[in-house]
Amino acid sequence: MSEKKQQVSRRQFLNYTLTGVGGFMAAGMLVPMLRMAVDPVLQESSAGDLVNVGLAVEDITTEPQRVDWKIDQVDAWYESKVGKSAWVYKNDNDEVVALSPICKHLGCVVSWEGSEDYPDQFYCPCHGGRYHKDGQNIPGTPPTAALDVYESKVENGMLYLGRAHPRGEA
Amino acid sequence: MQWIKEDLQQYIQAKEYVDTIIVPLIPYHLSQDSELEKNAFQSEVLSIFAKEIEKELSGRVMLTPNYHYLKSGSKEEELKRINSWAGDALSQPFKNVFFVTFDSTWKKNEQALDGTLIWLPGIQSGDLKSNEMRSFIHDQVEQIGEFIKSYW
Repeated sequence: MSEKKQQVSRRQFLNYTLTGVGGFMAAGMLVPMLRMAVDPVLQESSAGDLVNVGLAVEDITTEPQRVDWKIDQVDAWYESKVGKSAWVYKNDNDEVVALSPICKHLGCVVSWEGSEDYPDQFYCPCHGGRYHKDGQNIPGTPPTAALDVYESKVENGMLYLGRAHPRGEA
Repeated sequence: MQWIKEDLQQYIQAKEYVDTIIVPLIPYHLSQDSELEKNAFQSEVLSIFAKEIEKELSGRVMLTPNYHYLKSGSKEEELKRINSWAGDALSQPFKNVFFVTFDSTWKKNEQALDGTLIWLPGIQSGDLKSNEMRSFIHDQVEQIGEFIKSYW
């Protein structure tokens, strides 16, 4: 009678509880380790974040316009607000193009139709560097590469810009 | 370009393209309590000004470290030293030397300076982080940029 009642023996009971508790302990140790191993994959890179530059997409025309915005930049010594700017327009396929205004020659700021002599081109006031509307440098002027292109996306009708990439790498 | 390692590496390789220096002239003193805040504020604003101008025209412009001088000091002495700064640059050869300042006393000594003085009528006070100040500086920088470009 008593044999039948005792379906779980003392030995079995101890086995079950010990494996259970041990399993929990092992899991408690392994899960954080696993998380640490996978973590770099989950983390988003903060530098590449796209920022709302305060320009509605419907305001973008085929004529390049300059937008200025600020981002937080943390470097080794302090955190600061850094001003960024871009030339933004819609190309023939109705896609938004955002070009960096930094001249590829020595880093001056280029402007759209900055010289009356060269309409429909970006012009660098420092050494007369010129670029076509799509950012390609014009041979015979000092720059040797095309203007960088910003990562961009459109969300809720607003334009978001990220990092500028050299042509061919983006 | 600024007088920092990174920019100077670029400068040495592209010397023939950089022909303009900008020297900010900033008075310093601790003696007159009533003027202290104003002068310190102007010093901050001028540093920002100079950096912004440099940013727009960085490929052709070298921004020197700020030139500080004692406000009550003799202007003749300072003129000599400032001109020796300019002389060092002109022998490099830089072609254009611009001095930017909020201090109107330089306006009177303009002739004696070996360079072009850009005197900005003072901003007395305000909030550097405000949007008004930012757009004000932005507009001024644009105009000073145009002025410098007219010398090229």
